[in-house]
Amino acid sequence: MISCGLLPRLRLAASPLKPGLLPTSKRSSYSHRPRCAAALESPDVARLADAARISLSPQEVEQFGPKIRQVVDWFGQLQAVDLESIEPSLRASTEAVSSPREDTPETFDNREAIIEAIPSYDDPYIKVPRVLNKD
Amino acid sequence: MALFIFRGFCANAIILIPKNGAFLHKIRPKRSQFEVQARRSGSTEARPAQKSSQMATRERQQQQLQGFEAIIGIETHVQLQTSTKAFCRCPYSYGSDPNTTICPVCMGLPGTLPVLNSRVVEFAVKLGLALNCEISMKSKFDRKQYFYPDLPKGYQISQFDIPIAKGGFLDVDLPVEFGGGHKKFGITRVHMEEDAGKLVHSDTGSFSQVDLNRAGVPLLEIVSEPDMRNGIEAAEYASELQRVVRYVGVSNGNMQEGSLRCDVNVSVRPGGQQEFGTKVEIKNMNSFSAMNKAIDYEINRQILLHKQGQANQIVQETRLWDDATQKTFTMRKKEGLADYRYFPEPDLPEVVLTDEYVDQIRKSLPELPEAKRRRYENMGLTMQDVLFLANDDDVCDYFDSCIQNGAEAKLAANWIMGDIAAYLKNEKVSIKEIKLTPKELAELISSIKNGTISGKIGKEILNELICKGGTVQGLILEKDLVQIVDPAAIEALVDGVIAENPKQLEQYRSGRTKLQGFFAGQVMKKSKGKANPVLLTKILQEKLNAGN
Ligand SMILES: [Zn+2]
Repeated sequence: MISCGLLPRLRLAASPLKPGLLPTSKRSSYSHRPRCAAALESPDVARLADAARISLSPQEVEQFGPKIRQVVDWFGQLQAVDLESIEPSLRASTEAVSSPREDTPETFDNREAIIEAIPSYDDPYIKVPRVLNKD
Repeated sequence: MALFIFRGFCANAIILIPKNGAFLHKIRPKRSQFEVQARRSGSTEARPAQKSSQMATRERQQQQLQGFEAIIGIETHVQLQTSTKAFCRCPYSYGSDPNTTICPVCMGLPGTLPVLNSRVVEFAVKLGLALNCEISMKSKFDRKQYFYPDLPKGYQISQFDIPIAKGGFLDVDLPVEFGGGHKKFGITRVHMEEDAGKLVHSDTGSFSQVDLNRAGVPLLEIVSEPDMRNGIEAAEYASELQRVVRYVGVSNGNMQEGSLRCDVNVSVRPGGQQEFGTKVEIKNMNSFSAMNKAIDYEINRQILLHKQGQANQIVQETRLWDDATQKTFTMRKKEGLADYRYFPEPDLPEVVLTDEYVDQIRKSLPELPEAKRRRYENMGLTMQDVLFLANDDDVCDYFDSCIQNGAEAKLAANWIMGDIAAYLKNEKVSIKEIKLTPKELAELISSIKNGTISGKIGKEILNELICKGGTVQGLILEKDLVQIVDPAAIEALVDGVIAENPKQLEQYRSGRTKLQGFFAGQVMKKSKGKANPVLLTKILQEKLNAGN
């Protein structure tokens, strides 16, 4: 289960808001009360491996199961945080960048190095195994 | 990590907190000043002459459906005409040598970071507004995972749950020859994403070839509501979308080059049934007419299966349109729902817009095709004229400029759609390239209207004006083309011709009155085409009949 001391740190890591950005009334309304205790399903390691195009031996499947379960449980702890009164944020950070990139082209000047690093290059194409099914 | 603020490049922390927690502000483009209040609900009125054919077309469509209803939705990818790719500075131009416009970012090499091209956001907002959408003042990018060699990173940067624009619509006037009518098709969403590279499958070998020039090129995906019911409606939706992207200048909309690609979902259900039938996706249509045909083929294929009691043979699959055989065929069956495992793109900040930024873009929007069509319709032009002119914004600019120079709308439309369009087609040039200025076309029209030159002479000098330029006044003086409207001068010409042709005169007077045409031709020839035809006919008739 969850150690209470972990929660404030988790909160900070997930959203390093700049002080003063949110009204203090909102910031002080965090609650440590767990809200939902929905049981998480055990990970289907075989399916995950297939989706990630990774081959695993049966032993590895057994090894990874509990590890993945641990990671999922760790995220599960975040669900216990009461965010009812918190403004939703699309991103962890809200630091502003005032000038995104201008649309002016620049040719990468070391194309030779990229081409050289391609494992199988068949000038001018990159050679790959014949794959017809996208899904 | 950071976020982008689009407000003319000046940061302001206040905007970081959304108003009332709402991310969506309803912002719609202002109605064009030309648009009239008298917008018809439903369809445009059919002109009496077209009514019968229009009804016949509708009846035919109904008969073909045989009690079934087809539901069509379209996903369109539009390649943006930016100078650089979406997340790196690589230039992109169609037809470059393979793998020349690449860099570590678009190659998906480890350790690289994407940086968003500001123009992509600008174009997305532009198109969103042009499609009457709500703009998301805050949106974000997500990773869409799939494994395919044209996608070097193993995921595509796209937008999943918060698209930059949603909930719009597109107005379409169906072509007169297909029954006409006005339709409104819903736009579900518009989102930003990157294109993948190009994969070339060798015919024999066990390998494929990849060109990553296109990888990372910015796209907008426009998803329609399932509002279309047949091939024509779908093709017209797509062609209106093409007009809009061209009008607002976000894409060249070229289907052959793949700058505008449509994936169409088609399903069929028995009339009265609430739930949708199994939907089939069709790809590989590189023209609007191919779209129309592919969809109608697919609808018929599905109806046939329904009628044969084989509706279970309609499966979720992707079918390709084959132009050669005029059929769709299975490319791949879909097994279960694709699991793209979307998650927020951690390498890119959220995209935050300000009202000021969106306002600026809204103000920069040109008059859109729908507004143009309504304006032209109100000038009294026929729907055929309206659709022709509004199809191309260069033609619109030319036509509008003629009107501003005093030309009568119907006459200007006739010249543009007739002789000028024929010239453009023959010479394969755009209206911007011809030497005849709108001002001179207006001058030509008024010179004919006020009788300075005859219509025949007008047609004759048109070509010279198109090819060489110059002014109508200049040509009239130079070539001595002023129409002869002096009755005495015409009478002299007529007298001359009659005197020179005593035999024909005798024949005329003994009953061969058709010879009047011969005399008229001779007089016109003698006047070098300048005799006013009305006066000529009148005087000639008097003279010919004088001896009786
Ligand atoms: Zn690049």
